[in-house]
Amino acid sequence: MKPILAGKSILIVEDYPTMRKAIRNMLYTLDADLITEADNGENALLAMSKTNFDVVLCDYNLGPGKNGQQVLEEARQQKLIGYHCVFIIIASEQSASMVLGAMDSKPDEYLAKPFNAQQLFVRLERNLSRKALLNTIEKEVERGNLAQAIQQCDKLLAGNHKKVRTHLLKMRAELATLVGDFDTGRRIYTEILRERDLPWARLGLGVIQFQAGDFAGAAAYFEELLHVHPMFLEGYDWLSKVYEAEDKLHEVQEVVNQAVDLSPQSILRQKKLAETADKIGNVEVAEKAYKAAVSLGKNSIYKSCSDFTNLAKLYARTHAEDDALKTLALMRKEFREDPEAELRATTLEAELHQNSGNSEQAGLCLQKALLLHQQLGGNTPKDLQLDIARGCFLQDKAGQAEAILGGLIKTHIDDDQFLDDVRRMQSSVGMANHSEDLIQNTKRALVATNNKGVSLYKQGKFKEAMALFEQAIASMPDNKTIIINMLKITLHDLKANGIDEEKLLRAQALFKKARQIQIDRHKLGNLQMEFSNLLRQYHEGAKI
Amino acid sequence: MISGEKQDALFPLILGSTVHDIKNSLGILLSLIQQISVKHAAEPLDEIRQLEFEANRINHSLMQLLVMYKIDSNKFSLTEDEYAALDLINEAKAQQDPFSRLQNIDVRIECDEDLLCYCDYQQISNALGTVLNNAQRYSHGAVLISASEADGYLRFCIEDDGQGYPPHLLRADLSNPAEVDWVRGNTGLGLYFVAAIAGFHKNRDKIGFVEIDNHSRLGGARFCLYLP
Repeated sequence: MKPILAGKSILIVEDYPTMRKAIRNMLYTLDADLITEADNGENALLAMSKTNFDVVLCDYNLGPGKNGQQVLEEARQQKLIGYHCVFIIIASEQSASMVLGAMDSKPDEYLAKPFNAQQLFVRLERNLSRKALLNTIEKEVERGNLAQAIQQCDKLLAGNHKKVRTHLLKMRAELATLVGDFDTGRRIYTEILRERDLPWARLGLGVIQFQAGDFAGAAAYFEELLHVHPMFLEGYDWLSKVYEAEDKLHEVQEVVNQAVDLSPQSILRQKKLAETADKIGNVEVAEKAYKAAVSLGKNSIYKSCSDFTNLAKLYARTHAEDDALKTLALMRKEFREDPEAELRATTLEAELHQNSGNSEQAGLCLQKALLLHQQLGGNTPKDLQLDIARGCFLQDKAGQAEAILGGLIKTHIDDDQFLDDVRRMQSSVGMANHSEDLIQNTKRALVATNNKGVSLYKQGKFKEAMALFEQAIASMPDNKTIIINMLKITLHDLKANGIDEEKLLRAQALFKKARQIQIDRHKLGNLQMEFSNLLRQYHEGAKI
Repeated sequence: MISGEKQDALFPLILGSTVHDIKNSLGILLSLIQQISVKHAAEPLDEIRQLEFEANRINHSLMQLLVMYKIDSNKFSLTEDEYAALDLINEAKAQQDPFSRLQNIDVRIECDEDLLCYCDYQQISNALGTVLNNAQRYSHGAVLISASEADGYLRFCIEDDGQGYPPHLLRADLSNPAEVDWVRGNTGLGLYFVAAIAGFHKNRDKIGFVEIDNHSRLGGARFCLYLP
């Protein structure tokens, strides 16, 4: 066997010492020299925060605490491992992969126990050589340099890399979709499907329809996909996305429910199911799913105090006050000294006290909540702010409620789903349509600002247009439409009026901001593509 | 008292955790055996090889049992991707290595490095391992594993230089459990298992299957697995 592991840093995560030793001995026969060991998930993550490993071999079953999947999720989420890292989950069962899907992080490979050095070697070699080849593409994607990534991909496709050809084609089609080049994406997927009925190619065609705004077409692709490949979980995730975009919440619940049946261990799907069922008033399903999310969250990076309070809120609504209080007590135990958790608990307690006729206690709790909200200094999540506003309305403090709502609506004016949440909240306190004027006025103001900015730009007043947008962004921080418009005129200005370092820096800062406020990757895709083309032109020009 | 329904729900759990336990122990057992055999590398002991072989066999049977249980309760599905056919062959060969060395069997491979196979890696390498084990058992000293493209399928062949398959097995429908010889050793069971796994591999209108005959280039039995 080739010494493929010489000089590579390797982490073994396994709770059983004898097993750890056995794996280490196998690795020695592959010339490994830099081996670190961890006996549980916490220690594994600690080791990953210190060393940038090339290979992680992680047992799925690690005793009490995190399991291998949770270690992987946390490592990816916290960026403790890079793209080059080969992450292998060792499982005693071969079907572990079945319960995971798009919403979950997937390891590069599963390895079933027991295994020998040869089996380990084949898997490591396969992944190490593939990653070495594809690393250049991934790096450009990470940097947001999509034009460069596409060029690299085309270069490799033109070469003789038969073993990774399908993989490259998949990447190429995904990149095409990302930059809005739907024709190329469709062509690649269709050609692949002519050869073999691959579920991800069917999925890709649906994703393109979705990005192109054809929801009915997308749904048809995903439904057909699930009919033929019912175990392909990503299909359910995408189908639920379509229904969500169409505001068909009952359908969302049905589809997510099917996915949860297949993958009950997936915390993100349980959350999605709980929140959807909660919105449409399906208490039974919501309670079960919230409970699952709370229990799965115990060792997970996706653990969240909002799952606890959502469950407690559900109990409060169904007049199970005792259960609500128990849930809150449990949460306080799990999230000691966490200001957001405390704020969530206090906000709900205000309502519980009011429900039981204790208005004095309710008033105190609301006061405390408002203070905690202030202390969080703008970091209070939007759903929680909405809850506080609701609490204010319930205690006849409309002024304070409106102050909070005003800020929320301005910041999230282009988030239609959230605006629906605001409307639902208003109805729940018997004040339907109360915020409608504010929403409509804010929308009109935004449209006016955007129109004015674009028209200023068209008159050649780039600086004035930017100034206008800068001003608007000051009062509506994180507004996605404005950031996109700023990007558009900046790119247009670069093309029309020439490139200089300062403009490039400004554009880069805007892209960074856009990623920060999580503008949909697909909305940014073609802008990023344009920008990478400009960058290339500029650098090529500079060389001459 | 546990009701029947509860027992039904409990059984998969008990099975799952028992298998987990056995697999852990087997893994350790196998690695201990390997360590001992490395220590005695200068003077290899047949007993140790036999031990390794038997432990591997237990693992194989356990895995087969589990897969069959899942197929029976409609919980079985494949995890497919594209792999090098050579990797699959090497994996099967590595699984059976202790036995080949024990019996001094020469296992040769004929496979193009660029040949790709779309399949469930674990299941197909195990299936090939099962057939290779049978071939070694009946061979006089040489086995040939090959892979090639044939008529829109990828064909794996395992050929030996033994007596060939008995006539009743050649006539049997391998996918029909009633026609498989369950009593005499594990040949029939193994073939039934491999045929079942093959049948799960589908592409468009093509379905995987197995064929057996006595047209081995080495003069004995020939087994062929076709994957679409």
